[in-house]
Amino acid sequence: MAQTNQQLIAEYASQEAPLLPLLHAFHERDGYLSEEALRATSDGLKIPIAELFGTVTFYHHFAREPGGHLAPRVCTGFICRMNGAEELLESLDGATGMPCSGRCDEPIPVLRGKQTLVGTSADALEPRDTPVPPPSADGVEECVFAHIRDPARKTLEGYRATGGYVALERAVRAMTPEELISVIDDSGLAGRGGAGFPTGRKLRAVLDAEGGPKTVVCNADEGEPGCFKDRALMDHDPHALLEGMALACVATGAERAFIYLRYEYPETDAGLAVAIAETEAAGILGDDAFGSGRRIKIYLRRGAGAYICGEETSLLNSLEGAHPFPRNRPPYPVTHGYEGTPTAVNNVETLSSLPPIVANGAEWYRDLGMGEHAGTKVISLSGDVNRPGNYEVPLGLPLSELIEQWAGGIRNGYAIQAVTMAGLSGGFLAGDDLDVTLDEASIRSKGSFLGAGGIMVFDETRHMIEVAHSAMEFFAEESCGKCFPCRIGTQRLTERLAGDAGPADFTMWLDEVADLNLTMKETSACGLGQAAPLITESLVRYFPEVVRAHVAGRLDDE
Amino acid sequence: MSDNSGLTLFLDGEEVGFTRGESIFQVSERHQKDIPTLCYDERLEAFGACRLCIVELEGARYPVASCTTKAEPGMRVTSKSGRLEMHRRVLLEMVVSENREVDVNELAGYASQEMTTLVDRYDARTGRFAGGKSGTSRADDPNPFILRDYEQCISCYRCVRVCAEQEGDYAISVMNRGFDTQITTEFGGLLVDSACTFCGQCIQTCPTGALADIKALRAKDVEEPVEKTRSICPYCGVGCAVDIMTKGDRIVGIQPAMDGPANEGALCVKGQFAFDFVHHPDRLKTPFVRNDHGQLVPASWDEALDKAAAGLLAAVNEHGRHSLYAVASGRAPNEAGFLMQKLVRAGLGTSYIDNCSRA
Amino acid sequence: MSNPLKDMEKPDVIFCIGTNMTECHPVAATRLKKAIANGAKMIVADPREIGLTKLADINLQLRVGSDSALLLGMAHVIHREGLVDEGFMLDRTTEAEAFLKHIEEFTPEWASEVTGIAPELIEEAALLYGRAERGAIYYTLGITEHICGVDNVQGLCNLALMTGNIGREGTGINPMRGQNNIQGAGDVGAIPNNYPGFQAVTDPANQAKFSKAWGREIDHENGITKVRALEQAGEQIRAMFIDGENTVVTDPDREHCERALESLDFLVVCDLFMTETAEFADVVFPATGFGETDGTQTNTERRVQRLRKAVPPPGEAKPDWWIISRLAQRMNFKGFEYSGADEVFNELCSLSGTYAGLNWDRVEFGEYQWPVPEEGHPGTPRLHEDRFINGRGIFKLIRYRDPAETIDDDYPVWLTTGRRLAHYHSRTQTGRSEGLDYLRPHETLEVHPDDVAAWGASDGGWVNMSSRRGSVRIRIESTTRSPRGTVFSSFSFNDVPVNVLTGSGYDPVTDTAELKVCPVRIEPAIEPTGD
Repeated sequence: MAQTNQQLIAEYASQEAPLLPLLHAFHERDGYLSEEALRATSDGLKIPIAELFGTVTFYHHFAREPGGHLAPRVCTGFICRMNGAEELLESLDGATGMPCSGRCDEPIPVLRGKQTLVGTSADALEPRDTPVPPPSADGVEECVFAHIRDPARKTLEGYRATGGYVALERAVRAMTPEELISVIDDSGLAGRGGAGFPTGRKLRAVLDAEGGPKTVVCNADEGEPGCFKDRALMDHDPHALLEGMALACVATGAERAFIYLRYEYPETDAGLAVAIAETEAAGILGDDAFGSGRRIKIYLRRGAGAYICGEETSLLNSLEGAHPFPRNRPPYPVTHGYEGTPTAVNNVETLSSLPPIVANGAEWYRDLGMGEHAGTKVISLSGDVNRPGNYEVPLGLPLSELIEQWAGGIRNGYAIQAVTMAGLSGGFLAGDDLDVTLDEASIRSKGSFLGAGGIMVFDETRHMIEVAHSAMEFFAEESCGKCFPCRIGTQRLTERLAGDAGPADFTMWLDEVADLNLTMKETSACGLGQAAPLITESLVRYFPEVVRAHVAGRLDDE
Repeated sequence: MSDNSGLTLFLDGEEVGFTRGESIFQVSERHQKDIPTLCYDERLEAFGACRLCIVELEGARYPVASCTTKAEPGMRVTSKSGRLEMHRRVLLEMVVSENREVDVNELAGYASQEMTTLVDRYDARTGRFAGGKSGTSRADDPNPFILRDYEQCISCYRCVRVCAEQEGDYAISVMNRGFDTQITTEFGGLLVDSACTFCGQCIQTCPTGALADIKALRAKDVEEPVEKTRSICPYCGVGCAVDIMTKGDRIVGIQPAMDGPANEGALCVKGQFAFDFVHHPDRLKTPFVRNDHGQLVPASWDEALDKAAAGLLAAVNEHGRHSLYAVASGRAPNEAGFLMQKLVRAGLGTSYIDNCSRA
Repeated sequence: MSNPLKDMEKPDVIFCIGTNMTECHPVAATRLKKAIANGAKMIVADPREIGLTKLADINLQLRVGSDSALLLGMAHVIHREGLVDEGFMLDRTTEAEAFLKHIEEFTPEWASEVTGIAPELIEEAALLYGRAERGAIYYTLGITEHICGVDNVQGLCNLALMTGNIGREGTGINPMRGQNNIQGAGDVGAIPNNYPGFQAVTDPANQAKFSKAWGREIDHENGITKVRALEQAGEQIRAMFIDGENTVVTDPDREHCERALESLDFLVVCDLFMTETAEFADVVFPATGFGETDGTQTNTERRVQRLRKAVPPPGEAKPDWWIISRLAQRMNFKGFEYSGADEVFNELCSLSGTYAGLNWDRVEFGEYQWPVPEEGHPGTPRLHEDRFINGRGIFKLIRYRDPAETIDDDYPVWLTTGRRLAHYHSRTQTGRSEGLDYLRPHETLEVHPDDVAAWGASDGGWVNMSSRRGSVRIRIESTTRSPRGTVFSSFSFNDVPVNVLTGSGYDPVTDTAELKVCPVRIEPAIEPTGD
């Protein structure tokens, strides 16, 4: 029998970060979030009802109408649109769109409750496992992907058979936090979620921060369009992430850790839950890790559909049950994170890198990179290439080599027109600027950045205004609404790319867009508003004639 | 605190002192830098939404919001520059572009002129960035106090924050996100069905008149200028300071005194809205005396005072000075109570005086 | 209040008893909400589920009129658990030993029997307050409007004294005064036992001082309270002068009150409106109101603030000071030749120790809280910091007493009365201000849903509610704000004159009426016809 409101509230109220799991429980039990359920939640968790209502409306996936939980959501990210997502959406009863849901290397994903189906037509949707990353080119040595193609690696047994949890056991039994951090420091590992902050320094800041308890948070809210690497890591090598998180706990002195997983990965959610249960049952994690008396408790929390929750302070607010606006910084999460405690927030890839680094040593990791670049980066490559997928590349690898040699070049023999960088957040690279190597220094010199490593490739047939419009529409829909430049700017740029508004005079059009770009970039409160104008900025830079035609077309329409 | 001594930073080239914990905005305010802002209310936690208060910090790539950035020793801050003023104008042009209108009647609320003033200062009514308008007004809300004209809203969330941080009522919140953001109550309902207590704080902090004082706006077409007179609320014992807004001889509205020592800008529904009684037709305009037919009829002051004096003295003369009893008001000023007790003590030598505190 | 309003943001433990602060003193309540947001814990004791209840950590829903038993039980636990502040008791109080012995018999189990609160909750509350670093007590008429009002207040004082929660930031014993200048009315001597500044009438030195100031002999004896005066109306009391009070509606036992006023030889009333009370008068004076007069008033934290004239009064209405002084002149009393409120206030300051350091100009910005003993003194936001005004804090050995009337077969339901957010007292002002009736158009009787059903009534239906003194017809509002067996209504609406029912008894010391407790009988009725 379904649990009553009171039973559910009693079950969750005493847990850490209870709001999201409780809302999901109601969502799944009732098929939507009823007013009654929200009022019960408000009373039970002592969250003012207006605030709770507002917060629920912030998330994409919480349905407020009966049956909404199971209504199909079709990915309408640009790559999926190229594959016919809009037609699929039309043909599915009661379906709504959702932003890029992290399966750009597959047919179009359709989410129904806790199941993902993929396919390109309504009658041919099927569940399918996350693709295993293609084999690395020429046997280049990998870090996080080294064992990912081993089907047994998902299980605790298989993971241990390939050296898993050795590093953690050593760290728990024989290493001081300082020793552990110095290995990470020496490896040169930097945040792989996009910001690129040196991981060792972040962990040390949390270790050294006053107050407690310390907290580790894994940012698994892989919401950046064109990024799907974390899903592959979590689905095929979940224990590597858990071990990495546990190492971060040892390094910082944290006893609790959270995985904040994006809503659109229900299968990953289930897989991680199994992996956590296995490790706790085996005494590796939990109240007494390796019998050492150390508590390392990992909690799995599922988001509800909000790109901004990939921004670490929004994520923390979301975890705490607050409205997921980004926080003002400083103070930073390393001193004032989850519930105000010192918190290390790290990306899945970063954390998954820790076990091999600790096992094989800092030097080993450094040397994986090319030239002066330390280590590797997973690139989610999608769009008009022959072999889309996740590639773990040595940092410093030329982009052209990845596209041409690793991924088999552009489809159908077309020429490349442009790529996006950092998913969408880095804007476009095109023309001569495609001659970059895959490392921050090289890409930043072109006014873009590598970020989380999503690269979408567009061949010469693609209409760049459409691509740019779709990108800006995404940012507008995902803008949290807190700061003026982003809230209004993303809307105004979207309207201008759609041809709905803006001056008909090209010079004036450019002038408005340039002002919006600059003010958004320089005054927005967080990365979303700072990055979104890179789309329009690079569009105008690389494709001025296309833009001129677009604006002229608007004139013709009038 | 001793660690506050000697803390300085450079503000537009001048070395100035500050207290630990102060924001750059607060330091700049003390030095009359007049940095523009729309989302700032000094009573609330700095929020960092409008970005108008950006300043340049030496060593920082982009400007920072001065309201959310704490002053640090040695900082070199520029509060005004061509780049900052350009951003501020663009931000204001953006905000103007999302709203229906800019000019707002000053009766709308205490802060209602902030946006208009800034837009004028930056000459930002340019029509640039035209596009969709944000916010849906709630003309369906029949409450007689708070106008909810969200087409004028700029999503600064001062109303939401004042309701939570100052009032502790949490009646309103933010729904949706991005350009679709909307101020709402629980489930989008009417204020009267929410936790709203109609204290009016949201009205007074709204910088655009999106939330406005319906009662004050009744007088918007009265030609005379608005004047404000500081006084104290006539209801409970908290003693909230208010500014009485008048046009000519009429009280047209009440605003809380932001520097009122007892209330620091707060009021409740009575103090904020229950003032019409002052001009109510039921007010006594002349003395009344009971005539020979036992009816109370209007009278002159002379007649009434004489009759009252004679009536009271008659009792005293016939039954002694302990036959007259005076009841002072807990609602009237100190001077009234003082004179009531003086009347019996200095006049009759008794303490036959009380006030209404026992019931 | 012993402490300033600002201090309400500072306690770590708040104890609210008999105060519906979110409705009656909403702006003060916002400060408590801030303290709670900053981590303070709150104990709320009230017979009803009020606004504060939702914010509280411990709710003590006590039977009406049982407050003193709760306070004794809490004192017992604080003593038993060794949470008394022995240093404070030694240095600052007297009768401590006797008090600690006295409370030994008042176990939480005993208190539970009287109050209906579980003994564990009483213990929990006592421990929380007893362990507080900064414990603050707030109360209103729910404490004082009882026949044991003085005992209740002393019970609260005992708690503060035994734990040293007085004289420091965020502590204190803080009555929230209900009317804008009820504090001032006492300050200025409009009470039968004190001259201005709480100078006792019975002290010969004071008598000499005021006789000299006003040029005539003044009684050495206290006057009588208003309650006694009304009782003696038509006998000893033959004439009354009532300023700004709608006695008929707001006092208990309306019928008794009306009879009293009718039996006077002469009644003078000064008010803004032709109130129910003014209707009985021989002469009615039209007074100025809010925004029409210059003057001063004193708030609940003893802050003296200026009132200013913003608009002219209607017709020939005059300020109270003018009316009273001109009347006094016509009665041939000396010393009433004032030309403005400033002169009156300055005379008050010259005669009152608590206002001695003030004058008209100095209260311009309202920054002074009395006592301000001399010019240049900064005022006293916090009382009792180093010493009590009368030397030492005295423990009082109070005992629980039943209310004047208790429920029985004839009157089986407890009625308690109070205010509502949207209206004030007899609605002479809020009822005449547009919009307030939107929030509260008429009076209702708040009844627990189970009682509504048990009494054969219905939500929104009408009942007759009777006490030993009278009967009113009132609409039912079914709500869990009322516990079973207790009902609530305000006294604001003249068509539901609840004060025809009340008036069962008075506190023997202060003559304060027991407005908070009245046994009643409730029977379904038909809806009234007509308007």
